[in-house]
Amino acid sequence: MILLLQAILSGVLVGGVYALIGIGLTLIFGVMRVINFAHGELVMLGMYVTWLLFVKLGWDPYLSILAVAPLLFVWGAVLQTTVVNRVLDALPQNQILLTIGLGLVMSNAVMLAATSDYRLVSTSYSSASFDLGGLSVSYPLLLSFLVTVAVTVALYLFLLRTDTGQAIRATAQDRLAAQLMGIDVRRMSVLAFGLGAALAGVAGALVAPTYYIYPQVGAAFTLKAFVIVVLGGMGSVVGATLAGVLIGVTESLAAVYVASGLKELVVYVLFLVLLLVKPSGLLGKTRA
Amino acid sequence: MISLERPAVRAALRWLPAALAVTALAAFPFAVTKPYPINMGVVLFLAVLMGSAWNVLGGYAGQYSVGHAAYFGVGAYTAVLLFERHQVAPWFGLPAAMLAAVLVGVVIGGITFRLRGPYFVLASIAVAEIIRLAALHFRSFTNGAEGFVIASAPSIHLLGVELSFGTKRSFYWLTLALAVAAVLVSRAVLRARLGYLLLAIREDQDAAHSLGIGLSWNKNLALAISAALTGLAGAVFAGYTRFIDPSAAFGLDVSVRMVLVCLVGGIGRVEGPIIGAAILIPLEEVLRNPGGLETVGLLPRGSELVAFVGRWISPAHLLVDGLIMVLVILFAPEGVAGLLRRLRARRRESAAAAPSPAP
Amino acid sequence: MAPRLAHAVLVAVLSLPPLSARAAPVRLGFINSMTGPEAPIGENLTNGADLAVEDLKQRGIDVVLLKQDDGGKQQNAMSAIEQLATGEEVAAVVGPYTSASSNAVAPLAQQYEVPLLIPAAAKEELTRAGRSYVFRLNAPAHVYAASLLDAVLALGQPKTIAFVYESTDFGSSVSNAGKQLAQKKGLEIVADEAYQKGAPDYRSTLSKIKAQNPDLVFMVSYVADAILLMRQSREVGLKPQAFLGGGAGFDTAQFEAERTISNLVYSVTQWTPDTGWPGAAEFAARYQARFRKKPTYHAACAYAAVLVAGEAAAGAGGDPKKTREALARGSWTGVLGPVRFESFDGFTNQNRHVMPVVQYQDGKAQTVWPAQFAKRKAVYPFPGWK
Repeated sequence: MILLLQAILSGVLVGGVYALIGIGLTLIFGVMRVINFAHGELVMLGMYVTWLLFVKLGWDPYLSILAVAPLLFVWGAVLQTTVVNRVLDALPQNQILLTIGLGLVMSNAVMLAATSDYRLVSTSYSSASFDLGGLSVSYPLLLSFLVTVAVTVALYLFLLRTDTGQAIRATAQDRLAAQLMGIDVRRMSVLAFGLGAALAGVAGALVAPTYYIYPQVGAAFTLKAFVIVVLGGMGSVVGATLAGVLIGVTESLAAVYVASGLKELVVYVLFLVLLLVKPSGLLGKTRA
Repeated sequence: MISLERPAVRAALRWLPAALAVTALAAFPFAVTKPYPINMGVVLFLAVLMGSAWNVLGGYAGQYSVGHAAYFGVGAYTAVLLFERHQVAPWFGLPAAMLAAVLVGVVIGGITFRLRGPYFVLASIAVAEIIRLAALHFRSFTNGAEGFVIASAPSIHLLGVELSFGTKRSFYWLTLALAVAAVLVSRAVLRARLGYLLLAIREDQDAAHSLGIGLSWNKNLALAISAALTGLAGAVFAGYTRFIDPSAAFGLDVSVRMVLVCLVGGIGRVEGPIIGAAILIPLEEVLRNPGGLETVGLLPRGSELVAFVGRWISPAHLLVDGLIMVLVILFAPEGVAGLLRRLRARRRESAAAAPSPAP
Repeated sequence: MAPRLAHAVLVAVLSLPPLSARAAPVRLGFINSMTGPEAPIGENLTNGADLAVEDLKQRGIDVVLLKQDDGGKQQNAMSAIEQLATGEEVAAVVGPYTSASSNAVAPLAQQYEVPLLIPAAAKEELTRAGRSYVFRLNAPAHVYAASLLDAVLALGQPKTIAFVYESTDFGSSVSNAGKQLAQKKGLEIVADEAYQKGAPDYRSTLSKIKAQNPDLVFMVSYVADAILLMRQSREVGLKPQAFLGGGAGFDTAQFEAERTISNLVYSVTQWTPDTGWPGAAEFAARYQARFRKKPTYHAACAYAAVLVAGEAAAGAGGDPKKTREALARGSWTGVLGPVRFESFDGFTNQNRHVMPVVQYQDGKAQTVWPAQFAKRKAVYPFPGWK
């Protein structure tokens, strides 16, 4: 019983981070209908920036979020205006290939700059945990989870209450109609990509204390992020949050009750089933 | 009299350059005996084979699968498992590999073909990943991460000639023959009714459906051909490198490479994979192993260019792959073949517009 | 006419080989993981090899070391040995580093009849295939497991053991050997978990193992996984009587530096500076001074391998077949102790190398087994996490 609860708890905490990555991706897809296969690499960049700040300036990873978010936002905006914008109307297949290419460029550029040595961010609390009724709660994961919740709430409020946020949602709902209403949809696209990248970077900063960092680390996150986005419904922030947690728990339970080596396979099988049965996901609007 | 007016002669002349090229390629190993260029040839021909295979489903039918490694790996493992565990000669192993790939393809197609556009792409990636993870995990069946090293190479007797699967040259000719066959098959499909139907499906699936074109049947047929050729490539690859493991068989990079070859050359065109492979394979190899240029004698030993590339670019040669993908999609989504076509069209236009010289 | 004749004669004379020519330099191939995930360890091998080349030069043996990178991928290693054996015509090849690459390269070395000297790869089968051209300097996988288990069984009475290892060639080899030996020694295997590299969240797996309450936890991993495994073991509160680290990842300076989690972990290694083997301590000091970090066993293995291969090749005049003979018959002593390639128990051309076991105490690796090398007493059982 304890094992089951422990697995669920770990899964929820890790799922929080997955959720953050998924939220970024769902924003990008919702607003621009762009399949961003380089999203994992944006997380990787966040991890490396965090590591650099940690090693050179001694910044705590949680503090680095203040720097990572704006930096990745700008990078996302740059990517959008220079490259992604040109393929908004291209075939989705081409978009995927383009972003796969972007991902390759990013991960290999980092490899050239930083070599593929594994980097570790070792903080005092990197392996700390506390006991909660027989269950061990990972301190860094808990912090990440709390930050994720905070960021999600903030994002949700931004999208619901502010003018810009509502403009973004309008663009996501119907690009043409939004344009007709006077919304600068190009600016919205840039904002959305920047936001998505910033969220991915923050997720990277949050996991930096608990993972190891290397140029290809993004690949593991990208496909999972897509599973989350589809599960939650493309374009739905709340959906992505719930889906992230759900995927985290699924993976964790699979590791315990099926086999460690198959935990990701279970997630991808779930993905296929989902695509076939309910591609609009838990909370998404149906879109063929 | 052999006159250019007769269609038979014209047809023969059209085939002539290609026939000459193939003959020259076939004669190459007699002139050059160093294994390195022969090895490059094998890699190149395999790329043409795989690109042509992908083209049938992705180029003609418009179903961009970025998970074709599934068929590649299934073909590879089938041939290897039959050989290592049951001593089945490659003579039978190769067709078995193709059959296995087709069967897997039909299953995958059944699951994924009802998905459109990006969802189909994502599903294809997920499927290949699932198979790769399964191959890693079910160790008793596939030897897991250790993979298979094929110790002894068998030989087959063909037309009284013993082709040892142990020599590079026999693989050179085998892969050349397969590449030529694949191109011919690709061309035949395009010109047949099937090709016509596939193009219709590519252009507008729903319209095609409303015209009575059977989506499922035709897509699956394209997939069967594509999977069979890809599985064949996998089996030959495994036999050639004498090694297979889940990441070499099912890795995403295998799938991406197949798409990239067609993308660079020209998706949907018969010559696309040929052009794409001819550009990509040498470029990649030079970047990964610039010393190879010295080995073939194109550059002198100790060349500075080689040292520079080796030090600064080789470690991240995939960077160039990524750059090429980005640039091609941004500026030449129809590949080199498409560019050439546009150039020719423009030249024809300007020729037509220019006033004809006074008699 | 005369000037032209003189000119021709001059040219002819000058193109004759000089009478007092030095022996032509020995060409050795070196395959290593210089890029890719194993690159941090590969670097040690390269450094060790470079030091060996310098030392050989001092002894009058001129070695040209042709380095090829396999990036951790078997196919690249195979291309590399082809290039070396056929294009560069080397006398022998030292390397590769990983078990996977070595496995792919060994049959080719045999086919091309170029001796292959493996410095550090553990997979058993490498020297169990009866290949006359394949030599291995380091101890194979079963010795990893045997050393760890023997060291711990001498300290206590553990009954159960759990295995956590990466699902690669290396991880599978060592853990398989471990499982077989554990059964022979009457230990009950309560968990057998293989994880995928690059999926660095082992919490659930470790919780599952914790639920089985094993006396021993046997881990096999490269580089960074080792650190994460221990970090997360601490997080979930896994507390066996001993953590047994059978892998390169447990033997790096980085791991040693992570004091909170490396403390009291056992690690089996091919070499430590304080084994008393001739030149071992000096080698460590020299390496430290030159590269500003401690050498891992890989550096010592590569160093010894290049020395042995270089000497054998020089004596054989650079001919691969004769070099093979020299390797098969020779014996050497150096930083890795006595080296001799013998055939026994189904092994061919295997050096009977003894592997010391270290335990991390207060942030330093202390040799604790076997008795002739032990500098400190081992602490057993594991008292728990602070």
